[in-house]
Amino acid sequence: MSSSTDVRPAPPAGPPPPSSRRRRGSRRSGSDRAPFRRFHLIIYLLLGAFVFSTAGAFAWVFNVSMKTNSEFIGTRPWTIAEDWRWQNYSDAWSSANVGSFFANSVIVSVSATVLGVVLAAFAAYPLARIPFRGSGAVLSVFLLGLMVPWMVTFIPLYMTMQDLGLLDSRLGLALVYATYNLPFNVFVLVGFMKTLPGELEEAAAVDGAGPVRTFLRVIVPLMGPGLASVSIISFLQNWNEFFYALVLIHSPDRMTLPLGLFQLGQAADYGTNWVTLFAGMMITVVPVLLVFALLQNQVTKGLTAGAIKG
Amino acid sequence: MHRAAQRRIIIPFLLPALLLLGVFFLYPLVRTVDISFTEWTRTGSSSYVGIENYTRLFDDPGYLNALKNAFLFTLVGGCMLFPVAIAIAWSLNQRIHGEKFFRFVVFAPVVLSAAVVALMWKFIYHPTLGLINPALEGLGLGALARTWLGDASTALPAVAFVTVWHGIGIWVVLLSAGFERLPADVLEAGRIDGAGEWRLFRSVMLPMLRDLFRILVVLWIVQTMQAFAFVFIMTNGGPYGSTDIVGTLMYRVAFERYEFGYAAAMGVALIVIMLVVTQIVNKVMKRDELQY
Repeated sequence: MSSSTDVRPAPPAGPPPPSSRRRRGSRRSGSDRAPFRRFHLIIYLLLGAFVFSTAGAFAWVFNVSMKTNSEFIGTRPWTIAEDWRWQNYSDAWSSANVGSFFANSVIVSVSATVLGVVLAAFAAYPLARIPFRGSGAVLSVFLLGLMVPWMVTFIPLYMTMQDLGLLDSRLGLALVYATYNLPFNVFVLVGFMKTLPGELEEAAAVDGAGPVRTFLRVIVPLMGPGLASVSIISFLQNWNEFFYALVLIHSPDRMTLPLGLFQLGQAADYGTNWVTLFAGMMITVVPVLLVFALLQNQVTKGLTAGAIKG
Repeated sequence: MHRAAQRRIIIPFLLPALLLLGVFFLYPLVRTVDISFTEWTRTGSSSYVGIENYTRLFDDPGYLNALKNAFLFTLVGGCMLFPVAIAIAWSLNQRIHGEKFFRFVVFAPVVLSAAVVALMWKFIYHPTLGLINPALEGLGLGALARTWLGDASTALPAVAFVTVWHGIGIWVVLLSAGFERLPADVLEAGRIDGAGEWRLFRSVMLPMLRDLFRILVVLWIVQTMQAFAFVFIMTNGGPYGSTDIVGTLMYRVAFERYEFGYAAAMGVALIVIMLVVTQIVNKVMKRDELQY
């Protein structure tokens, strides 16, 4: 608007001065760190405090998971556990049902993720690469799912599940999760498929491949990175989901980890068995952190894009 | 000619996904509006009551309290989130040592389940068994120790803090991308003119990132208005309704009082309020475009 605030300087003539900082690409290399400046101390202090509090919280949970209940009540929180009590983990796994929660989480998250990604890939293909009337409308139906808060529909969803006989079943929960993954997956995969060259189908048709074969043999193999990223994001979201598990699942033997741990937490409020709960928390947290450690960049990008959908 | 063949696969390819979306999202969405005009009894029969559920909302102290708390939650959480997130994002763009490690730690809580994080912090806040009070006492600050989640004055900020701790990684990544996109020549010009880092940050970077801030604030409002897991697990709305938000109230109204119609009306009203608030924020924060 106010064009008078045009502060862009004339582009520097000649090569950029050697002090020119933050060039994209070059800043990734390790030797290209900025020379130490005094204000960096403040930065390290700030980030250090964050790291300290986060690591401290996890270390505390791990430490408690190695204590006995009486140790937990009787000692200071930072007292190191007297012994490596892996016993707590096997207690949590079998007698506190964390093993069964874990199995349910794996079953529900994996099947929902596979279903959500496969169906989204099929749906995204015509939307991205076959011009037809109404394709814009169909796409916006999917995108509506990115904009409306899902949570609001929980009452009719509960009733629908009841009518379909899917209430309190892992199948029902997996179908709901798959549906909730769809809009984001379709959105990402449509964008991805549009970047593939337009001649692929023509070439395949010349070679005599039908459209289904073209999709499965030509398009899908090129979709690797796109499919990987929506799979990771869908899986993490399904693994962590709490609200719909709470609404739809009631039997303890069908609960997923977040819901099961919540129930254990409620029980610990009135009981005295804390350490198995802490062991259960570690069992829930460690696999996810491992996935994140291995796939840091993909997870970061994907979850950030996923969070914007709300 | 392969176009004609392609047309035959459009419907079979789209149908399974649309079927799921229809059954588990679109149909419930339409039915939410429908149900919000009815009154349900415990036996499951319903009768049409017009807009009564909506008029009831306006003088329901429970709902108004939940709305007030939702706004407070957004405000208090936003004040905790944005300064810290901006500071961290800026720091991470200073080409410091260990950038990758810091990014890992800042983002790590995001990948954890909200339920587990809420549970973990519920114990950290625990007045005697937790981590915070004994730590304060150990530092000789015992006077600051309190029952964090059991005190109506501290419960809401305490829950908001955990929500921020859990999600801050996302905001840092978004802000950090914003810092990275700033035109290097403008910053360079500032440095040549002798501006210090703080001056550059305050007078050049912040104004240039204004649009990004506006989008992020709207996003934050949309997210916190829908908050559920943290409040539900840590306090379930207590003490004395001081942390009750629309999500938890709606859940209780539906599954403890079985007033499905009223709960649905709360949900629809929440969507409308969210739209209005985000529009207002958009308008207020949208000033003259900055050209650069």
